[in-house]
Amino acid sequence: MKPLFAPSYHIFLKDSRSELRTRYALNALFMFVVTALSVILFSLGSESVSSDVLAGMLWVIIFFSSMSGLSRTFVSEEERGTVPTLQLIARPTPVYVGKLFFNFVLTFSLNVVIALLYIIFINNFVVSSEAIFWTTIFLGSCAIASSSTIIAAIIAKANTKGTLYPVLSFPILLPMLITVIKATQLSIEGAFFEEALGEFQILVSYTVVVVAVSVILFEFVWKD
Amino acid sequence: MDFLADHQLYIVMSIVLIIWLGLVVYLVRLDRKITKLEDSLKK
Amino acid sequence: MPKYFFWKIALLIWLTLVIVAGLLMPMVPVPHAWYELPIIPALEDKARIIFFHVPMSWTTLVAFIASMVYGILFLKTKKMDYDLRSVSAAGLGTMFCVLATVTGSIWAKFNWGSFWNWDPRETSIFVLLLIYGAYFTLRSAIDVDEKKATLSAVYSVIAGVTAPFFIFVMPRIMTGLHPGAKGDEAGSTPVAQLHMPANMQVVFFASIVGFTLLYFWFFNLKVRSARLEQSIHQP
Repeated sequence: MKPLFAPSYHIFLKDSRSELRTRYALNALFMFVVTALSVILFSLGSESVSSDVLAGMLWVIIFFSSMSGLSRTFVSEEERGTVPTLQLIARPTPVYVGKLFFNFVLTFSLNVVIALLYIIFINNFVVSSEAIFWTTIFLGSCAIASSSTIIAAIIAKANTKGTLYPVLSFPILLPMLITVIKATQLSIEGAFFEEALGEFQILVSYTVVVVAVSVILFEFVWKD
Repeated sequence: MDFLADHQLYIVMSIVLIIWLGLVVYLVRLDRKITKLEDSLKK
Repeated sequence: MPKYFFWKIALLIWLTLVIVAGLLMPMVPVPHAWYELPIIPALEDKARIIFFHVPMSWTTLVAFIASMVYGILFLKTKKMDYDLRSVSAAGLGTMFCVLATVTGSIWAKFNWGSFWNWDPRETSIFVLLLIYGAYFTLRSAIDVDEKKATLSAVYSVIAGVTAPFFIFVMPRIMTGLHPGAKGDEAGSTPVAQLHMPANMQVVFFASIVGFTLLYFWFFNLKVRSARLEQSIHQP
C-alpha cells in the first residue's frame, strides 16, 4: 500500500495545484453551474413543478457539470504534452488513483455548491430528510468520479474528445443516475434513513466495482 | 374476401414466411460466395 | 460447398418450423391436443411475440458478451484477429438490439397503449443500444488500429461491468409494465421465466436455440468476410 499512497497523493497535489494556479477551469465550471441553474429557473418562471421533476433536474445539472469538468485531468496532460513525463516518473496505478481522487474532490465540491444553490433558489425543493440527501450527494459524487475518470482516460487518446465524453459516459452512468434520483426523491418525501439503504448499497457497490475494474484496465489505456 | 377476413393469421404468416425465405436464400448465397473466395485465395 | 452445409440447411428448416409453429398453433380456452396453446387473458394472439421478441433480446446479450470476451482476449494477447471478432460481434449485437427494441416497442403499442414508457426493461435495452452506439463512435474517433482496438476493448469491459447493475438495480427499485419487474415474481433475467405450458416452452426454447445458432452463423460469415477484406488490403 505504501508505494501506492505517496505517488497518488503527489499526483493529486500536482493536479490540484495546476488547476488552482490558473483557476481558468474552476471559474468556467462555476459559471457553467450558474448558467445552467439560471436557465432552469428562468424556464420554470413562477410555475411550481413537482418535486420528482426537481429531483431529476438537479441531477441533470450535476451530470452536465461533471461532463464539463472531469475530463480535464487527462485531456490537459495530452494538450500540454506532459504524458511521457508522467509515464516515466510514476507507475500507471498511482496516476489513476491520484487523478481519481482529484476528480472526486472536484465533483464533490461542485455538487455541494449545486445542491446548496438549488435548495436556496428553487422554492419548491424542500428536503425533509437531510441525512439521506447529503449522503446521496456524497455517494453520487463517488460514483460519478469513478466512471468519469476511466472514461476521461479513454477519450483523452481519441480525436473528438469533447463531444465523445458524454456519449461514452451516459450509458455507464445511467444505472447510477436512476438510483441517485430515486434516493433524492426519498429525501424529499422525508423517508427514514434505513429506507434509502438499498440505494446506498447500490451506489457503493457500483463505485467499488468500477474502481476495481478501472485499476486493472487503466494500464492498457495509459501505455502506448 | 370473407376468407381473408376470417383467416388473417394465415396472411400474416405468409408475409413472414416470404420475408424469411428471402433471408434464407440470401444467407446461403452469401456463405457460398465467401467459401468460393476463400478457396480461390488459398490457391 | 460451405462447411457444415447440411447442418446449416437443417437449422434453417428448424427455424422455419419455429416460425410456423409460433404463428399457427391455435389458441383455445382449454387446450387438449398437443398443438393447442392456452389463451392468456388480455394477451390472446399477441402472446405469440414471446417466440420472437425474447430470442432477439437474448441474442443481443450473447453478442454483447462475446464482444466483451474477445475484447479481453485482445488485451491479453494483442492479436488483431480478436479485435476483428469483437467488432463483428458488436455489429451483429447492434442489429439484434435494434430488432429487439423495435419489436418490443410495437408490442408495447398494442398492449399498453404507447410505443415507449421508460419501463425499466425498456430502458435497459435502450441503454444497450447507447452502449453499442458509443462503442462505434469511439472506434471512429481513433485512427491508429491498435489504439482503436485497445480503447474499444477497455470500454466494452467497463460497459459490461456496469450493465448488470441495470438488470439487478431495476427490479429492486422500480415497478414496471414489462414482465419480470417488481411486483411480478416471474423473474428478472433477460429470459423471463413466465409460467408456460410444456408445449409452449418447447417452441420458445426451440426459438431461442435456433436464433442463437443463427447468430453464430452470421458471426462466422462476418468474421470470414472481414478477414478476406483484410488480406486484400494487406496482402
